[in-house]
Amino acid sequence: MNASLFDILTIWLQRPNFIAFIILFLWGLYIMIAHHNLIKKLIGMYLVQTSVIFFFITVSAKAGATVPILLNGESVDPALYANPLPHVLMLTAIVVGVATLGVSLALVVAIYRQYGSLDEEVILKQLGE
Amino acid sequence: MRHHLPVFVFLLPFGMAICMPLISLVRPKWCRGLTMLALAAMTGLSVMLYSHVIAQGPIRYALSGWMPPLGIEWIVDGLSGLLLPLLGSLALMGVWYAGPLVTEGKGSIHFHLLTLLLVSGLSGMVMAGDLFNIFVFLEVSALSSYALVGSAGGRALVSAFRYLILGTLGASLYLLGVGYFYAVTGTLNMTDLADRLPDLLASKAVMAGFIFMLIGLGIKMALVPLHGWLPDAYVDAPDSVSPLLAPLVTKVALYAVVRVMYWVVGGEEVGETLPILTLSSWLGAVAALVGAFLALSQQELKRMFAYAGISHVGIIVMGVCLGNPTGFAGGIFYLLTDAVMQAALFYIAGTAFYSLGIRTLADLGRLRGQMPWVIGVLIVIAISMIGIPPSGGFFGKWYIILGALEAGNYIVVGGVVGATLLTLGYFVTIFERIFVDSVSSGPAVLAESPLSMRATMGMLAAASLVLGLMSDPMIRLILDHAFPG
Repeated sequence: MNASLFDILTIWLQRPNFIAFIILFLWGLYIMIAHHNLIKKLIGMYLVQTSVIFFFITVSAKAGATVPILLNGESVDPALYANPLPHVLMLTAIVVGVATLGVSLALVVAIYRQYGSLDEEVILKQLGE
Repeated sequence: MRHHLPVFVFLLPFGMAICMPLISLVRPKWCRGLTMLALAAMTGLSVMLYSHVIAQGPIRYALSGWMPPLGIEWIVDGLSGLLLPLLGSLALMGVWYAGPLVTEGKGSIHFHLLTLLLVSGLSGMVMAGDLFNIFVFLEVSALSSYALVGSAGGRALVSAFRYLILGTLGASLYLLGVGYFYAVTGTLNMTDLADRLPDLLASKAVMAGFIFMLIGLGIKMALVPLHGWLPDAYVDAPDSVSPLLAPLVTKVALYAVVRVMYWVVGGEEVGETLPILTLSSWLGAVAALVGAFLALSQQELKRMFAYAGISHVGIIVMGVCLGNPTGFAGGIFYLLTDAVMQAALFYIAGTAFYSLGIRTLADLGRLRGQMPWVIGVLIVIAISMIGIPPSGGFFGKWYIILGALEAGNYIVVGGVVGATLLTLGYFVTIFERIFVDSVSSGPAVLAESPLSMRATMGMLAAASLVLGLMSDPMIRLILDHAFPG
């Protein structure tokens, strides 16, 4: 339990995927919160979604893995292939993400037609009139 | 044949939603009737399903014959079976109520299609037997509710956009939590997870995943302090839509939390490593009090009711997180009652605007002498919201307090009592405005509201009283069939 700072750093640096996930997730969250432009907020939202997809994939990733198929009538040794389930789940998650993006872009277009701007500040000013 | 009932309960609204564009092309006037038909059939089937479950035990439905844990599984037990008829009947009433509000023609198809999709998504969430399915159905129902909120145009577009951003963040956090669970256990099936998790509860990954899930679903169920999206979304949504969303969306997200907490992680075991139940019940107390305080300070009728809903989500959370059967049964019973009350409150707000153009509390005086029906329903619902004995609201709170005393959790007792007093406070404000305010309304003419509005309001008011009278057998049913283990 009394791992030194150096040990912790080593453990972290051996898992670059997870660091990338954290950076992507927090970056997306920051864009969602900090930017006033609605499209930029959507980009942030999409980044958050993508980071979670990345997380799932990274859990099942394996260096030099093959595909889970029957080879010459025999199944490939499970230790050799990458777990296909997270990949399939993320296919669904990508579809969900695209649907969300579609609905949100439709809303943004409607907002732009109504208020003539994509800047949240300008829209809020018009709402507060 | 009975074994296939779960999938038909889902397919009825879903299939009708798929057919809706075609129907609107050929017979645009049939949209409303067919929607109501599908929802009525769904309600009938789910009542059949529930009685079957009560008689013969839970149904585990393996979709297209692929056996779980490899295949996808739907579970209908005493708890999900109880929620399905509620979903169907409240959606049916909502569509019936919305008749005069929804314009014939183009707007009509959007409303009916999205309502059917919303109901099918929610029923899928209720029946889902694995964590990833809950995510998918969560998003199906959420996408239709974003579109329903935004369908009013104007301000509602901005509210719907905010709801979408926060809702998607919630869903992503939930999915992240699911990822943690999967990484640790290698399965997503709830029964399978419940087998494997007890040995792993000390793992930080499981705890982190559970907390991510709770935060994600907390956004969806508008638990204070994650409630920011709800008031604007419900207030700006069309009057036909808010009584559909208010009773259903937050309650089903809460149901998902209950499912994960008791059926996957296993309520009591969590208590030893991390007192998650106690912490959540405290959060519920905070939500109940803060929501009621905010409701007290509102000037707009719909906004007040929206905050009342936030406060009542807190009360349900307190009940189900006590960790003993009494509190759990009280919480689930209160969930049913609150769904009825929320729908009725938004019906009242919608009718008052439809007939007299009343939006704010300051105008409420004009109701007096003009809409006796609305005032009567409001009195009955207020009795239930405050929790005066013959009503469903009283018995829900009664059992929650009993459970809290059993668990020795006095913060919950204080939270329920405090929220009750504050609820009394904002209803006193409403009735003061109605009966005491002198508003120069001119001659008191009876403003007739359409039959569909009066009928649905009357039925829900009656339902809230019937729930109270039937509370004993209902609580027994929940204790016998819906409590885990």
